Amino acid sequence: MSENIYTILIGGRAGEGIKKAAQVIAGLLCQAGKQVYQADDYQSLIRGGHNFSTVSSSDETVYAAYQDADLIICFDHRSVEEHAGFLKPGGVLFCNSDESDLEDGAGIPMTSIMKKHYPEGSNIGIVAIAIFCAHHSIHQYIMRNTIKQQFKRNIAENIAFADEIYELVIKKSSEPMDHPFDHQYRFLSGNQAIGLGAYYAGLDFYFAYPMTPASSLLHYLALKKESLGIYAIHAESELAAINMAIGSAVAGCRSAVGSSGGGFALMQEAFSMAGIVEAPLLCVLTSRPGPATGVSTYTAQEDLWFAINQGHGEFPRVVASPDCHERAFSLAAELLSLAWEVQTPAILLTEKQLSEDMRNLHLDQTSLPEASCLMDNCSKDYKRYAITESGISPLQFPQDCPESVVKWNSHEHFETGLRTDAAGAMIAMKDKRNRKNAVLEKATRKYQRVAVYGNGENVIFAYGSTVMELREALKYTDSGFRIVAPIYLEPFPFEELKEYEGKAAIVVEHSSTGQFARFLQWKLKLQTKRNILKYDGRAFDPIKLANLLEEAIHA
Amino acid sequence: MRELDTNKANTWCSGCGNFGIINAVKKAIHDLNAKEVGTDDIVITAGIGCHGKIFDYLNLSGIYGLHGRALATAQGIKLANPDLKIISFGGDGDSLGEGLEHTLFAAKRNMDITLILHNNGNYGLTTGQFSPLSFQGYKGLSTPFGSIEKPFDAVPLLIEAGATFVARAYSARIDHLCEMIVKAVQHKGFSFVEVLQPCVAYNNTYQLFNQKVKHLEIVPDKLSQALTLARSTEDIYIGIFHQETRAVYHELLYQDANPYRQRKSAAERREHKA
Repeated sequence: MSENIYTILIGGRAGEGIKKAAQVIAGLLCQAGKQVYQADDYQSLIRGGHNFSTVSSSDETVYAAYQDADLIICFDHRSVEEHAGFLKPGGVLFCNSDESDLEDGAGIPMTSIMKKHYPEGSNIGIVAIAIFCAHHSIHQYIMRNTIKQQFKRNIAENIAFADEIYELVIKKSSEPMDHPFDHQYRFLSGNQAIGLGAYYAGLDFYFAYPMTPASSLLHYLALKKESLGIYAIHAESELAAINMAIGSAVAGCRSAVGSSGGGFALMQEAFSMAGIVEAPLLCVLTSRPGPATGVSTYTAQEDLWFAINQGHGEFPRVVASPDCHERAFSLAAELLSLAWEVQTPAILLTEKQLSEDMRNLHLDQTSLPEASCLMDNCSKDYKRYAITESGISPLQFPQDCPESVVKWNSHEHFETGLRTDAAGAMIAMKDKRNRKNAVLEKATRKYQRVAVYGNGENVIFAYGSTVMELREALKYTDSGFRIVAPIYLEPFPFEELKEYEGKAAIVVEHSSTGQFARFLQWKLKLQTKRNILKYDGRAFDPIKLANLLEEAIHA
Repeated sequence: MRELDTNKANTWCSGCGNFGIINAVKKAIHDLNAKEVGTDDIVITAGIGCHGKIFDYLNLSGIYGLHGRALATAQGIKLANPDLKIISFGGDGDSLGEGLEHTLFAAKRNMDITLILHNNGNYGLTTGQFSPLSFQGYKGLSTPFGSIEKPFDAVPLLIEAGATFVARAYSARIDHLCEMIVKAVQHKGFSFVEVLQPCVAYNNTYQLFNQKVKHLEIVPDKLSQALTLARSTEDIYIGIFHQETRAVYHELLYQDANPYRQRKSAAERREHKA
């Protein structure tokens, strides 16, 4: 039973710097040695609406954000209406008394005070940082230094504004946080972990067209151009992005693409081309609720079958989904590496929740694999699609070997890469490619393909971010549960899961039709004891999920 | 000098304008070899259609990609290894229909790539439907009563999009076409050569072009003049319409780096605290 979860919620309108303020507070908690999880709830608009960020922390690892909060800070009246009911007993709600009156909350005229300090512009997010620091009696110089480091513009105005709020709140300070604030931390989103993992495995290029929730991967890698020495290219469309990525692989560079379901729908033709030209390619598919535009800034697991069936025609591929941020880091490296080892596309399937939610992480790059490939030794009569026992043809890159010709072909082809319609040649080449399925099955065994958490009798199957929600929920139940989480979905890790074949289990997922339950029924003849579905785009609250699990076993 | 032919049987129609193009390309590669562009430095990409078969008939490295996407794959190759000279082949349907966005963006970026547009004014391989460049009134299987759309004009379109070398040639005038290809490949930036290519099966324009084609003696020094000459239908001009110097995309991105040659190993990356 976890007693010491501390949750702070900041709510207001889009454009008020809510996410940033939450990140700064999360950073302070990390510096204080806490384990921190941040989730941002926002809508597809730039100004107005209702946004909120939740930061949950504890002395032990936190895998999800909590709905009930210890400290709520509302910049507008709507936030009060939405969240006041989720204040924990003994918690405090600070509201903007310029916008709402609240009997039980601490009212601060946030807007009026802000206007005093900024002749131009605004930065109401400072309020949240100042309240947080004062509420916990964090020394004022720590607050000032943090604000100086985190906000590069309007430094004097920010400090003056923060000081006034701090002095107002410190008088009622109730929960001193007596920590040295000297812990090193790395606070990353899942997308950032994916980008870093791929970098360490050898990524050279990332090609994408912006689409939430994959965009932040593009932004992160674009920003890291100088420090990592890799290139993130914003192409004219998803079609361009994936074709460029294949082109860069033809010339020997390690490439990745990323998008959400809609962008991947566009990429399908070239994903299929990657299959026949045997292009190594890492594809990051980060899901949001569909179909079509769906609900663009929320989370879902509706793309499982889409990922498994991506592209037309038959060809080998890998599909895997990280069950936590650390795995997002290692899996990105594994999948880039597998793509090159087997010369076929790999999909890292994840969701908005993992892509954008942030945690403080310890990442170890020393054990990550390198994306390397079987190279030809510059034979003069080089054949790009040499028929081999494994199905894997050694690679050459242009200019490497004078006299050699390296021909890649999206039409069915001979070993030389020249096109053919001949029946025998078709069969030979299809068989060659299909033999790579067995290589893949073996190659994926180098990595952890299934994660199991707990050893209880009651088995729960889940994948992706849902595993994090379950790990957090199990802190609130004394019943014996065991989470079984396939990380690799294709090839399916049957060896590791055969003990569950034909058995009954609870399946938890973010879809409305139970895609994962059907998938497990197909692969493992797994019987679904209870399929817990959530398809409102929101993550499970850990405590509510724990209750649903209890209900499921006592049904 | 490498033999440029492959053992692949040619399936173009007898008299197809593509023969003129492939002969000019082979000749151009000979000429480029003399100008220190090695055959190994050249990489080709092609889309899908009659033009795309050139990939099979040329003993050069590259990728035979998807319909319309030849320039997208070409850009990926160029970015990965800027030392390569990329020649991309496209049909009029391929490069200005399904692949229009990639063509315009490659020109906008001034990617250091050459696009050779096989303009036969129709979709040959899919049995002669109208293309983005077919003249108004063109009758094909999908426009039996005549196309009602105004065609694109490739040369002005590419000039406006930002191509820094824009030329037109005629597949039956091989020496001139060869000269245009050599100059295009040597040009640093996005070079575009529209090749007027008669399709003997569905759009036989030999007579028309033989009567109307005229050589531009000099590169027009004014853009307005270039556009007027390019749009002329009385005389159909071939030659260089526009040439300028502008920073190329890969150098703006990473100066003189070469991402493929300078790849950092995983071991080197591990040392780096990102």
